[in-house]
Amino acid sequence: MSEKILAEKNLIVRHRRIELIEHWAIAISGLALLVTGIFELPVAKRYYIITVPGLGWSADFITSLYIHYAAALVFTAAGIFHLVYHGLRGERGLMPQKGDTAASIVVIKSLFGFGKEPPMHKYLPEQRLAYAGMVFIMLMLVISGLVKTYKNIYAPDMSLPVVLTATWVHNIFFILFFLAFLSHMGAIALRPNWPMIRGIFTGSVRLDYARHRHPLWVEEVEKAAAPRPTCAAPEEAAQMTEVVQESPPEPPEPA
Amino acid sequence: MKSPLKSQISRRSFIQITAGAAALTGLALPKVATAASDTSLSTLIDLSLCDGCADREIPACVSACKSINKDKIPPVADPIPEPWPRKTIEDWSKKQSVTDRLTPYNFIYVQKVEISEDDAKKTVFIPRRCMHCDNPPCATICPFSANHKKANSAVVINQNQCFGGAKCKDVCPWEIPQRQSGVGIYLHVLPGFMGNGVMYKCDLCHDRLVQGRAPGCIEACPRQALLIGPKKAIEEEARHRAAKMNGYIYGKDENGGTATLYVSPVSFEKLDAAMVKKPGQPDMKTSVQRRMQSTDPLGKAVLASPLLGVAAAGVLGWFSKRKEQLKKGEKDNV
Repeated sequence: MSEKILAEKNLIVRHRRIELIEHWAIAISGLALLVTGIFELPVAKRYYIITVPGLGWSADFITSLYIHYAAALVFTAAGIFHLVYHGLRGERGLMPQKGDTAASIVVIKSLFGFGKEPPMHKYLPEQRLAYAGMVFIMLMLVISGLVKTYKNIYAPDMSLPVVLTATWVHNIFFILFFLAFLSHMGAIALRPNWPMIRGIFTGSVRLDYARHRHPLWVEEVEKAAAPRPTCAAPEEAAQMTEVVQESPPEPPEPA
Repeated sequence: MKSPLKSQISRRSFIQITAGAAALTGLALPKVATAASDTSLSTLIDLSLCDGCADREIPACVSACKSINKDKIPPVADPIPEPWPRKTIEDWSKKQSVTDRLTPYNFIYVQKVEISEDDAKKTVFIPRRCMHCDNPPCATICPFSANHKKANSAVVINQNQCFGGAKCKDVCPWEIPQRQSGVGIYLHVLPGFMGNGVMYKCDLCHDRLVQGRAPGCIEACPRQALLIGPKKAIEEEARHRAAKMNGYIYGKDENGGTATLYVSPVSFEKLDAAMVKKPGQPDMKTSVQRRMQSTDPLGKAVLASPLLGVAAAGVLGWFSKRKEQLKKGEKDNV
C-alpha cells in the first residue's frame, strides 16, 4: 500500500509492506548478530551467562557462529536489497540534505523544550543523518564480515594485515552498531516520537499527529492525491480522487 | 647464496626425506628459503623411532623447546589481577620446570603409553604439541586475530595481541593452548573485566623457519624421529613409512587435516585407549571432526548473500515498476 491518507480512520500510510519487511528483517537479524557477536567473545562462561535459562549454548562458539552466519545472511541480503531496490526506484527521501546538521540541532533542542520544532517533511533531519551513519556502519560490518567469512572457509592463511584490518574494522563497527542501536531505542523513548512507533509495526501513523509534526509531508501526499486536470465530468473526476502518490515513497527509517 | 642456516635445515630436516619420499615423489631437495617462508610445510613424527630419550632426564625435543622459549613470557604481574566475576587465575610462573604436560612454559612433552600387544608389554613414546591444523579453529575464531595461520603452516599466537580469553583452547579438539595469567595487553585495558593473560603454545619455531632453520625439537632429536619438509613430500614419506611398518597415520584427516603426521606401528585407537588423559595431556582420538565444517555451507550462503539481495531487488523492482506502469496505463485510459 503506497502513501495515502485514510481520513475516516485518522491515519496516513507511512511505509509500504516491502519497507516494513526490510526494516524488520534488518532489525531482527541485526539484533541476533549483536547478541551472537557478543557470544563470540569469551564472556558467556566468565559472566555466568550460561547459567541463564535458555542460554546454555552461549559459551559454544560454533553454535554462536552458526546463528551469526544465519543472521548475517538475512542482514546482508536485506541491506543490499534495500540499497539497490530504493536506489533503482530513485527513492532518496532518507538521504541527508544540505542544512540537515543545523536543522537537527534545532529539532533536538525542541525535543527537550528549547525552542519550537520547525514543520517537517516525512523524515526528520536527524533521521536522515542517522540513516547515512547507519548505512555506513552496516556496510563496513558487511564488508569486513564477508572477508572474515571467506577466511574461515577458504583462506585460513590469508595475509595477516588483511585479516587484522577486517577483524578490527568488524570489532570497532560492532561497537558503533551497538551504540547506534541504543540511540535508535533512545529516540523511541522520547515522547514526541511515540506516535511514530505504530508506523513501523502497522505501516501507518495518526493523521492528526502527521498534520501537526509533518505538515510538509501531508501537504505532499495531499498534493499527489489531488485529481489531475481532466476532461471528465466533475462527478467522475471526484471519483478518481483516491490518494495515490505519484512521486515514489521513500525507504523506511533506519533500524 | 645459501646461508649456513639454510644448509642446516636442508641437512637436518630434508635429507631424510630425499632419501625416501623424494625418491618416490620425484621431488628434488626443496629451495630452503621458499620452503621456509611461503611453502606449506608439514612435520612427521615417527613413533617407531622415538624412545623418549630414555638416557636423558628431559627428552631432547622438550629441552630444546624450553631453551628456545625460555624468555618468551615476560615477568608476571604480582599480584595477578583477580578477574571478575569468575575468579579463575592460571599461574604457571612458579612451576616453569614442569615438562610432563603442556603448560605456558612447556610447548611440547613426551607422552609415555604402555600397551599390550600379542601378550607383550610395549612402551610407545609420543611427542605432543600443537598439530598446526590446516584450517585451525583456534586461529580463525580468535576475536582479535591474535592467532594466525602462516603460509608455511605454522599457527602462531601473537602474545602482544592476545587477551587470554582461552577461546582458542575451547575450540581446539586437543585443548593445546595454555594460559598464563598476569601477562599481556589485558593488564593495560580492563584487567578485572576483560581478558585474563596470554595463551601460549608451540609456534613451530616460526622465527627460525623464517630464517631458514628447522624447529628446535626437530633439530634436537637424536634419532631423527621428527622431520619437517614440504607438505606433499612429508605426506608421501608418512605413507611410505606407514606402509613399510604396516602401521598407521594420525593427523592427516583429523580436525580437517593438520601439518603434523604421526606414523606408528601401533594403531591410534589402541594408543588413545591406553593413554592417561589429564589436563595438559591431550587424548589422541581418531577421526576428530572439524566442528566449524558444519558452519561452512551457511558461511558460503553468507558470501552469496549480496548477490541474493541484488537479484531480489532487481526482480521485485521490475515487478513493482511494471505494476505502476499498468496502473498508470489504466488511469490514462479512463
